[in-house]
Amino acid sequence: MKQDAFAACHPAVNFFYFILVIGCSMFVMHPVFLFLSCLGGMAYYIYLKRWKAFKTALWLMLPVFLITAIVNPLFTHAGVTLLMYLPSGNPLTLESILYGLGAGAMLVCVINWFSCYQEVMTSDKFIYLFGRIIPAMSLVLSMVLRFVPKFKNQIEKVSNAQKCIGRDVTNGNVLERSRHGMKILSIMTTWALENSVETADSMKSRGYGLRGRVNFSIYRFDSRDKVLCGIMAAMGIVVIGGIATKTVRFLYYPMVTMNGINFGSVLVYVCYGALCLLPLMMNVIEDIKWHYLKSKI
Amino acid sequence: MALFEIKDLTFTYPDADKPALSHLNFTVEAGDFVVICGKSGCGKTTLLRHFKTVMTPYGKREGEILFCGEKLEEVPVRTQSGEIGYVLQSPDNQIVTDKVWHELAFGVENLGYDQQTIRLRVAEMASFFGIQNWFHKNVEELSGGQKQLLNLASVMTMQPKVLVLDEPTSQLDPIAAAEFLSTIRKINLDLGITVIIIEHRLEEVFPMADKVLVLEDGKKQFYDEPRKVGTALADDDLFLAMPSPVQIYNATGQVGECPLTVCEGRNWLQEHFLPQEPTPEPDAERKKADGQTPAVEGKELWFRYEKEGKDIVKDLSLQVKKGELYCILGGNGTGKSTTLSLLSGIHRPYRGKILLNGKDLRKIGDKELFDHFLGVLPQNPQTLFVRDTVQEDLEEMLPKLMPRKEREEKLQKVIEDTEIGHLLKMHPYDLSGGEQQRTALAKVLLLEPQILLLDEPTKGLDGFYKYKLGGIFKRLLAQGITIVMVSHDIEFCATYGDTCAMFFDGGIVTACSAREFFTGNSFYTTTANRMARGLYPDAVIVKDVIEKCKENRRQA
Repeated sequence: MKQDAFAACHPAVNFFYFILVIGCSMFVMHPVFLFLSCLGGMAYYIYLKRWKAFKTALWLMLPVFLITAIVNPLFTHAGVTLLMYLPSGNPLTLESILYGLGAGAMLVCVINWFSCYQEVMTSDKFIYLFGRIIPAMSLVLSMVLRFVPKFKNQIEKVSNAQKCIGRDVTNGNVLERSRHGMKILSIMTTWALENSVETADSMKSRGYGLRGRVNFSIYRFDSRDKVLCGIMAAMGIVVIGGIATKTVRFLYYPMVTMNGINFGSVLVYVCYGALCLLPLMMNVIEDIKWHYLKSKI
Repeated sequence: MALFEIKDLTFTYPDADKPALSHLNFTVEAGDFVVICGKSGCGKTTLLRHFKTVMTPYGKREGEILFCGEKLEEVPVRTQSGEIGYVLQSPDNQIVTDKVWHELAFGVENLGYDQQTIRLRVAEMASFFGIQNWFHKNVEELSGGQKQLLNLASVMTMQPKVLVLDEPTSQLDPIAAAEFLSTIRKINLDLGITVIIIEHRLEEVFPMADKVLVLEDGKKQFYDEPRKVGTALADDDLFLAMPSPVQIYNATGQVGECPLTVCEGRNWLQEHFLPQEPTPEPDAERKKADGQTPAVEGKELWFRYEKEGKDIVKDLSLQVKKGELYCILGGNGTGKSTTLSLLSGIHRPYRGKILLNGKDLRKIGDKELFDHFLGVLPQNPQTLFVRDTVQEDLEEMLPKLMPRKEREEKLQKVIEDTEIGHLLKMHPYDLSGGEQQRTALAKVLLLEPQILLLDEPTKGLDGFYKYKLGGIFKRLLAQGITIVMVSHDIEFCATYGDTCAMFFDGGIVTACSAREFFTGNSFYTTTANRMARGLYPDAVIVKDVIEKCKENRRQA
């Protein structure tokens, strides 16, 4: 994968950004906001994962969107614009259809942003951020992340070895299979305990348990991070301010009402749009810079 | 100045009758490279653990250990943590965290330095060890050799005065091991750090060592320069573990100065012995098996793990005759182990055919395959064990309905064959590497296979255990079992193998009798052959060279 300019920022910046964006996407069901958030999230996700992004979109996001959009009008009957009566006798309203579409879009946005979050906030960044709050926790987390793949790996090895003597979970009838499986699991417990002794030795011998342990990190909060934080904070204030002062507002029930288009609301839209597209813009700027540099060389 | 002074150290484990270490007296000078050797169970590891207070085992201790003139117990733990660096056997288990950079920093974090110092230390060591390229990786993605290098580097970040290593290369392949040992050597020479190491690859560490300590039953047998120790061990059990030049020197009556390396050995041979033309040997025994159906036959096999991946096994054909020991030799990552997994049916080739005793592998059912037919010993024998004692583990292999008498007879035979009678009550995980290997072999043998597939059976074994394993193989071959083994161990294959095949780039380049194979190669051959090739081109193993030498002594 190529280097992602946004992911290369300080973890605090990444985390702050995702809180802001996911929070807004989750709680504001304004159609313009949803559109901007969807656009930004999806574009960034495609940028990160290339072709694989479409797979997720097709198999996860589309069904979620459709189900929400269909289910809502079937069960919610609020709203004043009556379209027709359902066979059950309940009314089908325009507002509930719109709300369903909005809710579907909101879910898609959130899924999208969380997918990006997973790509960007790798385990070590998470550990770094939360290790500062609970120092012991960060080491434990890191050790767990070390242990799980190791354990999985060993199970695979044991399973293969047992297959060689015809005693794996794939050999024999159901009863035998489960018996083999149990045996493998039981020896894996022994294995884990046995090996942890050596790990403990290695930790002890490197001075674990001495007073005054510190947490080292390879991250530095540089000037770019400061600038980014400033920009994000400013945009965040504008957006949240806009919502709080009802400069932008949207009601689905009982009747669809939306704020008018004026300077204030446009400013909020622009800020939110910029916020959502921020990671992508950073990457594009970086790409252009590189292109320019390369053509100079 | 003496770094460590061991004064009359005696140590007894709780509930043990005799001491594990008794009356040890020796001094390790600063900057020394000390190799500790001895048979397994002689107290090497116990001694090594005494060099650091937190590692010291529980038990009764007499005598004292001085570290830089101070009693070790009185040196603060903080100082000890930093100045005495430990590297243990298993590359995997020593790693604590999930990222390479975090692991490097772990020790220094514990010592509580500030960010800037840690950053510098980590950077410094990462560059010294050439870790920059995998600095950000997950430790899970590293190879065994890289993991062990990481363990070493993460100890080095604490800037130790002395490195204590307990068989650090026993789980590495020869190439990674050689690299690791040369790094240790570099640390010793360039940074002046004292090294105390237990190692069974004496061939490599002997020339590096300043001092060699030989232990027997917890007693100091020798503590001297390697040349002198090599000479002194002439008629000892440990003789087998010595480097080939030393063995040849000792067996031919110790004329002149003891050679340690191939180069020295070559000159020494030239000086004291006359050359001899090779005599063509009649290969009568070998011809006998011709004409039979081969036990294992692979026809133009192709294999890859993923559809888009590259081919791991390419156009591989091999023929293994009944009742022979077929060795597949070759470098790392060339697809040797994969080949074995194809032959055992774990993976399927996407093209080509495998015949076992003339039958197509695909048409053999599970039941038939693992009953009196095929036995596979995986690279890590530990993965075969599923019970709490060796006995239970072995019994598990026999069908429940088998009459008691037959059961016991079968067990008895296998136990005798593999010489594990004294281990039956132990937990399989508590056994040493060589014992685990034999126990795993016993377990596989209970299936009464006709064909045995082994993946690196000599990995991590010392000379003595290899000799034992070789004996077991000979017995099995005599019973008509065919053995196919994948190995890095040139010496072992030369001594016991019937046919050797060179594996390279996914296929077998050449396969011929062991003698032919090794006399034909100039680099990929035994130490003894490399040493004597000028005088006796057809001498492959130590024994050959010794015989030739005895016949062709240069008269003084």
